[in-house]
Amino acid sequence: MRLRVPACAAVLLLLMVACSNSESAPRTAARGEDEEKVAVDAPGVTDSEIRVGGVASITNPLGGEYADMFRGVEAYFQMVNEDGGIHGRELTLVAERDDKVASNNAQVQALLAQDDVFAVLPVATLLFTGADTLVERNVPTFGWTINPEWQGTEEEPKENLFGQAGSYLCFDCEAPIWPWLAQEAGASKVGVIAYNVAQSSECAEGIRKSIERWGPEAGVEVGFIDTSLSFGTTDLSVQVSQMKEAGVDFITSCVDLQGVVTLAKEVKKQNLDATQFIPNGYDQSVVDEFGDLFEDSYVLTFFAPFETEEKPEGLQTYLEWMERTGTTKSENSLNGWLNAALFVQGLRDAGPDFNRQKVIDAINKMTNWDANGLLCGVDWTSAHDQPSENVCSAISKVTDGAFEPVFAEPGKPFLLWERDAPLKDPEVVAGVD
Amino acid sequence: MIEILELAVRGVPTGCVFALLAVGLVLTYKTSGVFNLAFGAQAYVSAVVFYEVRKEHEWPLLPAALLAIVVIGPLLGLLLDRVLFRHLRTSGSVAKLVTSLGLLVAIPELVRLAFGSESKKNPPPLWYVERTDQWLWPEGSRFVLDAGQVTTILATLVVVAGLGVLFRSTALGLRMRAVVESPRMVELNGINAERVSMVSWMLSSFLAGLSGVLLAPLFASLSPFDFFTLLVAALAATAFGRLSSIPLTLLGGILLGVLQAILAGKLPTDSILANGLRPALPFVVLFALLLFWPGLRSARDAADPLAGVDPPPPPAAASIRTRFLTVGTRAFAVTVSAIGLLLGWFVLDSFWLGLVTSGVILGVIMLSITVITGMGGMISLCQATFAAIGAFTTARVVDSLGMSVIVAIFVGAVVAAAVGGLLALPVLRLEGVYLALATLAFALMFQSVMVPLDWVSGGTTPLRVPRPVIGPVDLAENRAFFVLAAALLALAGALVYVVKRGTTGRFLDALRGSEYAAASVGISATRAKVIAFSLSAGIAGLGGGLLACFYGAANYDQSFNFFYGLVWVVLVVTAGARSVQAAVISGLGFFLIPEFLQRLFEIPGRYVADHPDLPAAVEAVLRTIKPEYSLGVAFILFGFGALTYAKHPEGIIEVQTRAALRKVMGALDRTDRSQPTPATDDARPPDEDPAAPATDDDARRPAPVRTGGAGVP
Repeated sequence: MRLRVPACAAVLLLLMVACSNSESAPRTAARGEDEEKVAVDAPGVTDSEIRVGGVASITNPLGGEYADMFRGVEAYFQMVNEDGGIHGRELTLVAERDDKVASNNAQVQALLAQDDVFAVLPVATLLFTGADTLVERNVPTFGWTINPEWQGTEEEPKENLFGQAGSYLCFDCEAPIWPWLAQEAGASKVGVIAYNVAQSSECAEGIRKSIERWGPEAGVEVGFIDTSLSFGTTDLSVQVSQMKEAGVDFITSCVDLQGVVTLAKEVKKQNLDATQFIPNGYDQSVVDEFGDLFEDSYVLTFFAPFETEEKPEGLQTYLEWMERTGTTKSENSLNGWLNAALFVQGLRDAGPDFNRQKVIDAINKMTNWDANGLLCGVDWTSAHDQPSENVCSAISKVTDGAFEPVFAEPGKPFLLWERDAPLKDPEVVAGVD
Repeated sequence: MIEILELAVRGVPTGCVFALLAVGLVLTYKTSGVFNLAFGAQAYVSAVVFYEVRKEHEWPLLPAALLAIVVIGPLLGLLLDRVLFRHLRTSGSVAKLVTSLGLLVAIPELVRLAFGSESKKNPPPLWYVERTDQWLWPEGSRFVLDAGQVTTILATLVVVAGLGVLFRSTALGLRMRAVVESPRMVELNGINAERVSMVSWMLSSFLAGLSGVLLAPLFASLSPFDFFTLLVAALAATAFGRLSSIPLTLLGGILLGVLQAILAGKLPTDSILANGLRPALPFVVLFALLLFWPGLRSARDAADPLAGVDPPPPPAAASIRTRFLTVGTRAFAVTVSAIGLLLGWFVLDSFWLGLVTSGVILGVIMLSITVITGMGGMISLCQATFAAIGAFTTARVVDSLGMSVIVAIFVGAVVAAAVGGLLALPVLRLEGVYLALATLAFALMFQSVMVPLDWVSGGTTPLRVPRPVIGPVDLAENRAFFVLAAALLALAGALVYVVKRGTTGRFLDALRGSEYAAASVGISATRAKVIAFSLSAGIAGLGGGLLACFYGAANYDQSFNFFYGLVWVVLVVTAGARSVQAAVISGLGFFLIPEFLQRLFEIPGRYVADHPDLPAAVEAVLRTIKPEYSLGVAFILFGFGALTYAKHPEGIIEVQTRAALRKVMGALDRTDRSQPTPATDDARPPDEDPAAPATDDDARRPAPVRTGGAGVP
């Protein structure tokens, strides 16, 4: 009965990362003390501080333990403040709201009415019903895009909502990564499983379409697909036996940890010789817990994996500050960190007489936001309401109980495909130039 | 045929999982009369204890298992019996069901408080060996069981055999069943019913503990909801066993597992039929069994033949007050409502206004429970589903037909009412627990089959519902919407009040007293109950449409998850199922209590921050109180509130109102006696018994009657 929204979050993140070939955003920010301080008349801004607050699902009995997002934001703010702050002011995370049960919109209202914040970050919630309020009030908002409310449309661009790596969510978009990875794994038949909830089954539909489109070039086809699993199922014996009969040798899924673990146990039990691709499996604590269950499986990240050789500057800084602040390095804390980084960059670009609109405009002018190499690159001129032209992600493999970036090169963690081109090997890149 | 057989064999281990849980439920029902929906929560307690000692403290397997299963399980049963169920033995099955719902809500939060809310990944198994194919079957054989499955199958068979012996061949088994049927009669025969009941609870709780520890490795991490999900899937097996037969329950569980496996293997995996039927199978089977299975079709809850010796419940508060106080109470209610409106309009900030508006709208939905449970004496666990139907219909009607939102909300209510009426027709022959289970099955079928459909829920993106504009008033403004919500709440409250005082209300009163007696004077039970079901569903639909409009979208997971429906029932019944004001207060309480608690729990932290020179011990104690406990504590309060239902089935608010009224009337009486002249606004002479009913219609209604099964006043 856990809420079912985040079940395939990572898969979607892969699809929404927007890349472009335009100029980069400035990589190094100016030190706070060098900046001019002018009076600013904006909510949540005083002479000495810029107040922000966030909301996360922390104690919702139906699931969600996203408090680490706050720690990522806090660590980034600490780094900026130690460097003199920004525009002569310190960044302060004044509110860490828990959206409890069915109260996301109310907590968002509280951030604005009671906490007097300039911007809202992070937002990491099972449901994001406060999105409309934030759009109406034009508040710069940064968070984890696992909810469809982040995405804009032509009629309603939602240009003040910023996901950690774009805001566009495409549940059934095609991407060449599945047929390509299956081909690389030496596979010819792909098995796909998903829950019968909308996000999950549409994700599976996207995989099916991808394999139908590029599969013939890769010599790969869909051998088995099941999109009608009960959420939280504990038995996949029939599905795995059918995969075995169908000759499936590459399995991927649009399910949560429960589904992934159940699948992996059954694959092992039935001795199905298949490579597993677990898009949302980049979590060391899971690999630590489940031993060799995920050995040799592939996982996907939209950011440079922590194990990247010759780490980009952004990754080095993140890891250093996680250690300094005693924060767990994880996708959650990284998302918070990325949210804070984008906000700070927006503030810098908006200039000393900043306000909400200027920050929003400044970010929406960025054509290649890469958080100093942590991301492949996000084109914020289109990342609210359009799928990217390219697909750019990093792939790691579980080897000896640890994640090992694969297909990458030192300093170049990402694989880049053109979305509308015939299937070919991806370009190995540090980011989009 | 071979293929079907293979699939069937694959379904047996899962079937045994269902069977183990279902047997536990049946055991509890047979030996305590409680249909214990908190069985999964009890299982979760032992699973967490086993996890903690085995994984965190690295105890050896045997002592860890003994502690979790043999000590904690029965101890929990003992505690539940002593504190709770001992006092419920003569209560109706609905009172017991509501109490178990309260435990379902409270226990997981207590466990989180005790053991922390961190994710407990990879629960440890109750066995050493991982695989069996090397020692049970030749390597490479077609069917492989892991050790967990073997253990579950064996444990299920042992439990079934043991319980069979207990009930068929021992005096204790007979006494356990007798105590459920009539504790008074058993005691007349010199048997200590309390001790038998205690043993029953310890035994069933032991079984819950065994199930919890045994089944925990099925999950990637420990969550009480996973156990509850498995439990509701297993309900079909309990129905197959007619809530009484252990062997039939075992068979039912296995058949369910087998059927699931066959459907998984034979239905096209991405077909519409598979998408709908497979996830909903346990609930479809449960629903069908409740309607058609011999022995359940006309099942009635067991009634204690000596229940008539119970004193009648106290009269309703409204029936003891004088006309003066009736007028005063109503004036007070109007004043409080007016103050609330003024506060909402002028004082509350957008945060509190949002919460209060949500609470007011939820109050509308809660009124639907007042109708079905308070007036109709039936427990429905699908009120959140009716609210969802109202919300989805509102969204679709606005989107497709371009209809005014306000009109669409009422269309949503009508559609929900129609669905409620249709559902009522087949399920109304059921009563008590059986009816509650049928409505739960309906809620789960809706969630599994309808909600995933794009044309129903909008699929990945919840359906938008705009705010209405009424003349010059744009209800996009939250204060204006608050007034609309309050007006619709008043309308719904008035409707409930009118129906309660009208013919249908009186018919339902009579039916709650005695269906046969009511029928003998020409009252149609079916007609009255269908009206109650429809009205209740319609009010829930109205609230659902309004909630979707307030939030801007008809979002199932946000607002209408069936679990919320269970919590709502607990809240309303605790506050007072027959009272309009209790429904309103419950709605507000659902949203406001966690926030008030959070403010309360923030105080110690602030105090510590402001007083750096506090003694370390005091600081340590104060730091244990954290704001993030607020929701858990609120749920614990909600759950424990339901536990008072056995003592006060009329509800806390009714009890408090009655006590306050008695005090006021006593004071007035003393004042009147001290006056030289009997000048009073009251129509009655001052020396008349103050407790005598007023001439108000409320007072002419018969006092609530204990109904053997229903237990609703």
